[in-house]
Amino acid sequence: MKTLGKTTWAIPGGHIPLRSTGHEPEFTSRDELCLLNTSDQEANVEIAIFHADREPVGSYRLKVQARRVRHIRFNDLIDPEAILLDTDYASVIESDVPIVVQFSRLDSSQAEKSILSTMAFPAS
Amino acid sequence: MQQEWINWSGSIRFTPKSIETPENEEMLVDLVRQAVAFKRNLRVVGSSHSCSQVFKTDDILVSLEKFADIESYDATAGTATVNAGMKLHDISQALLKVGLAMENIGDVDYQAIAPAIGTGTHGAGKHLTNLSGQVIGLRMVTGTGEIVECSLEQNPELLRAARVSMGTLGIFTAVKLRLLPAYKLHRQEWCTHIDDCLANLDWLMEENRNFAFYWYPRRDEARIRIWNLPGQGSTDLSFARLDKEWSGWSGEVLPTPQELRYDESEYSLPVEVAPECFKKVRQRVKEKHRQMVGWRILYRPIARDDAYLSNAYERDIVAITLHQNAALPHWEYFTDIESIFQAYDGRPHWGKKHTLKAKDLRSLYPMWNRFQEIRQRLDPNGIFLTRYLRELLVGE
Ligand SMILES: Cc1cc2nc3c(=O)[nH]c(=O)nc-3n(C[C@H](O)[C@H](O)[C@H](O)COP(=O)(O)OP(=O)(O)OC[C@H]3O[C@@H](n4cnc5c(N)ncnc54)[C@H](O)[C@@H]3O)c2cc1C
Repeated sequence: MKTLGKTTWAIPGGHIPLRSTGHEPEFTSRDELCLLNTSDQEANVEIAIFHADREPVGSYRLKVQARRVRHIRFNDLIDPEAILLDTDYASVIESDVPIVVQFSRLDSSQAEKSILSTMAFPAS
Repeated sequence: MQQEWINWSGSIRFTPKSIETPENEEMLVDLVRQAVAFKRNLRVVGSSHSCSQVFKTDDILVSLEKFADIESYDATAGTATVNAGMKLHDISQALLKVGLAMENIGDVDYQAIAPAIGTGTHGAGKHLTNLSGQVIGLRMVTGTGEIVECSLEQNPELLRAARVSMGTLGIFTAVKLRLLPAYKLHRQEWCTHIDDCLANLDWLMEENRNFAFYWYPRRDEARIRIWNLPGQGSTDLSFARLDKEWSGWSGEVLPTPQELRYDESEYSLPVEVAPECFKKVRQRVKEKHRQMVGWRILYRPIARDDAYLSNAYERDIVAITLHQNAALPHWEYFTDIESIFQAYDGRPHWGKKHTLKAKDLRSLYPMWNRFQEIRQRLDPNGIFLTRYLRELLVGE
């Protein structure tokens, strides 16, 4: 399989909704990353979180196995620190092998849940 | 040059006038006597894993890091006398070599034995006491510089007062432990929804030697941890997914390596009211604290004991522990939840964050006054008391 993607991605518009409606964890309001690694090598991924009013925090480290996809909720990242809900943030995702990065938000603050999904910006 | 002392989480910082590391009991006795003579204050420290101010001092800080051996053991009787500064991890390894093991330890094994006992440190297991319940004798240097021994046979009341005393009756130099023949445990970690975990709580706690669960506030899911002797305990939780399992010697599979730094607050509640209290905590966290709090809450049952200031004194308990990343604010979260714990007669963990003072604590411990009488007798000059400890224990 051809290795698809880039090694650096950026998502400027992070903002995890504070309120959720419905049974959790299925309907927990969240920002979510979908990482696709089509290569034959495990991807070591580092995420840096940028804020409006303080220095970036990171790295949040995770792995995506070769030829696998992995979904990660920003809500669940706690190491080095939990990302604040209801607060603007941005993320820069770096991987040691090219990967493809998609970003989704589920907002269940209202009972009528809304979903947004977009490709991250492939920086390099 | 004076050196700043920083605890494991980074939230307790202070600069003692001197840091002493005596090599033997005589040197420790000298240090205490000098402190009395010069009206100094002296606190002893272990691995600095506490995040309350129990060891903080601006005067003399003493470390027993050189008291780090097994003094003696009796494999037939299942006992060992251990130097007070020895780390739990090293104790487990040394005991294994002679076919012995501690009955239980907590979530990590980085602590030194004396402070782990002296703050009421515990593991998880409905029928297992905290570490202080494994102590059958101890030797300490009191606040007047005397070496005093007590055991189940010799001065048992002093043993009950001293076991959980945060180094305010004396500095332990050795403790005698009741042990088990070395044993292996099978550890399993199951993931499920918190509602299913709570619905099955009673039998899970009863059936498994060691049991704990973590609740993840931003998912409403639970991770159930159980440890059992091979072939015993629950093996099939139909409502949960098995995430990991492995087996090994008790000292290897009971603790979990912990790199990520955090501050914590913990209260112990009577076992009967703990599920209701947990549900209130869960509701409050979801309503009010999720913006800031991403990390788990831990639920662990512990058997009753008879140490005067133990969080399990004469009652079976469940300890509920709040965690917050060391880099994020914690007080607003901890103090808000503390009010729920207090409504259920909760007793705080002495080594973790809480705001209680002597006036609040007195009514929670039936032997409080007796403990204070013994403390005053063993440390009449108050050399082990700091401002924090005076507020905590004396109430001035
Ligand atoms: C990552 C982590 C995991 C933890 N897991 C658990 C757990 O599973 N269960 C639990 O109950 N707690 C747990 N704790 C709390 C911890 O067990 C206690 O705070 C414990 O007291 C720390 O031991 P220490 O060696 O770091 O002692 P310190 O924090 O250095 O000292 C604690 C107290 O002991 C006194 N002391 C030190 N040496 C002596 C001595 N020789 N004689 C008398 N008193 C002495 C000190 O003066 C102080 O009052 C955990 C803490 C952390 C950071």
